[in-house]
Amino acid sequence: MSNSLNGAVKILITLALALGIGAIFILAIGQSPVEAYGALVKGALGTKLGIGNTIAQFTPLLLTSIAFAVAASAGAFNVGVEGEVILGGITAAYIGINWGFLPVPLLYLACFLGAMAVAAAWAYIPAALKAYFNVSEVCVTILMNTVALYIGSYLVSGPMSAGTATPQSDPVLVTIPKIMKPSSANAGVFIAIAAVLVVIFIVYKTKWGYKLRTVGTNPTHADYVGINSKKVFINAMLLSGMLGGMAGCIEVLGVHGYYLDNFAKDLGTNGMLAALIVKSNMLFTPFIAFFLAVLKAGSMAMQQATDVPKSIVDTVSAIFIIIATMEFVVSLGKRRKMEHEAKAVANIGSKKPDDKKTGKEESK
Amino acid sequence: MDVFESLGKIFNVSLIYATFRASTPIIYAALCAAVTQQANILNVGTEGIMLVGAFTAVAVSFLTGSWILGVLAAMCGGAVIATIMAIGHIKYNSEICAIGMGINLFAIAITKFLLQVIFNTSGSFSDPGIDPIPTVHFAFLENIPVLNGLLNDWAFTEWFVIVFIIILQFLFYKTVWGLRLRAVGQFPMAAQTAGINVNAIKYQAILISGLVGGLAGAHLSLGYSTQFVENMTNNRGFMGVAAMYFGGANPALTAVGCLLFGFSDSVGARLQAYGFPAQFVLMMPYLVTIVVLAVSMAIKVAASKKKESSLITG
Repeated sequence: MSNSLNGAVKILITLALALGIGAIFILAIGQSPVEAYGALVKGALGTKLGIGNTIAQFTPLLLTSIAFAVAASAGAFNVGVEGEVILGGITAAYIGINWGFLPVPLLYLACFLGAMAVAAAWAYIPAALKAYFNVSEVCVTILMNTVALYIGSYLVSGPMSAGTATPQSDPVLVTIPKIMKPSSANAGVFIAIAAVLVVIFIVYKTKWGYKLRTVGTNPTHADYVGINSKKVFINAMLLSGMLGGMAGCIEVLGVHGYYLDNFAKDLGTNGMLAALIVKSNMLFTPFIAFFLAVLKAGSMAMQQATDVPKSIVDTVSAIFIIIATMEFVVSLGKRRKMEHEAKAVANIGSKKPDDKKTGKEESK
Repeated sequence: MDVFESLGKIFNVSLIYATFRASTPIIYAALCAAVTQQANILNVGTEGIMLVGAFTAVAVSFLTGSWILGVLAAMCGGAVIATIMAIGHIKYNSEICAIGMGINLFAIAITKFLLQVIFNTSGSFSDPGIDPIPTVHFAFLENIPVLNGLLNDWAFTEWFVIVFIIILQFLFYKTVWGLRLRAVGQFPMAAQTAGINVNAIKYQAILISGLVGGLAGAHLSLGYSTQFVENMTNNRGFMGVAAMYFGGANPALTAVGCLLFGFSDSVGARLQAYGFPAQFVLMMPYLVTIVVLAVSMAIKVAASKKKESSLITG
């Protein structure tokens, strides 16, 4: 428990540092940081519309951040959540428009399952490439995001186009009800929270999750004790893909009611940001996702109320992440120093290139 | 007959220069990634370093009216960003992918912010006041029909990239520093035992990588085009990283990989005239990159397995 308390304190100190550096930027352009941050918080949480916007921002971020964190807990750096969101969205739109023969409850189910299946299949590609051919998943997933974007864009401006000037599809037959009009917050937020709770339970409290975390911590050890690390790695990516697909489905059914080209812009990136800030700790990730949602929702109000451009918010979040990845905030003095040294030694040892191979030969 | 005619229009002499032109920014990016990869550091931040370089180049070139200052400033800008990454990774134990992505996001945000603050616009900035990297014109080629179109009027940095590949090849494989760099990459403990300051080499590698990345950005915004657009690198940094994997961080092989992506890019652009949907054309270089990367890594894995088994049985 003291460990997670320690973690929370660290995050708060990091946050203060990031906001401080952001304040310097704001001062540099001759504005008042207090006013800017005040306007931001007021815009995000001060009005009913603001709270609605925050919830609307929070819903996809929660899912995408946990999607990233799940993959990370098995050692995968899945930048491809955005592509999964896009393909999940387009699948949900396709089923929602064309499968009217299904009764309504089943149609909802079909939209979600279809979106999750397609997104998981998409995530399988980089996962298998990494597991079997050791192709960097970072590279592949980033490039695949662009491919997914163009696939969605092609479908929505060609075969699935509604014929309007903006590339968008016909409206879907079922939508998720809005909960705080006129904002686009919708009941999808409850689905997202439920899904995330289930995933957290799976990862921390089941045998499957234990295998996942073992592979994430040390794949060689996992192989020794009889866990097929490659299979588990792929499974984690599949789960990650399913969460991304679900986010896409909720966006399409809940926010827009149709597929809008480029609707997933930055959803995956910001989810990744939230997860990276807390080193993919799934218990903290939702809080950071909420914090980022506040920043996003309030940034527009801040830009209107003051002369501070809203890109300052992205700058602050990026600084937040850079500082957060560093083991910067030293808390427990000596103990930490010792840990640090132990880690440095371990690091050098683990970078020995033929580590895995020699291990295998010895075991034979 | 029609098919041949169209094919002739797609695959003609000018495709050679088009390919090279589209490849050059990626080659610079790939070299940026190759420098750190030799020290076994995956430079995920290439994209961000490049973007900062691109912005700095345009800003300084516009404000001073000198492309040389623009390029130099871009290299310094790249080095500053890379230094942040180096300190985080080496001194404070940041995971390289995490801090690299952080650097990328920071680059996108800060360039957007500065674009608004300094130039008071958003989206893109182009102005006749920006001094572009000059093109090299050979008067004696003017009368030679094919070579004139092929070799004349390249941007200075397009010629320089060829020299640069040779310089890096020499640096990695023929100098003491290169040997140390590769030693650090392959077996840091042995390197340390041999009296090499591992961290110093790593810092130097990332710093040089920053200079190269800044140059990549400067070429993109002052040589390849004459403007700055938000997020104008458009994943070229990551294509560079992919090419670096393809070439195993060897500068010459890496450049060959980049040419492949440039080729698919230019062919795609020509196919668009024949009614292919724009989206398919646009996704081509990305698809080609993924496929080539997967195939080249699969071959490598197969080769190392073969080696392994021959060791055991023999």
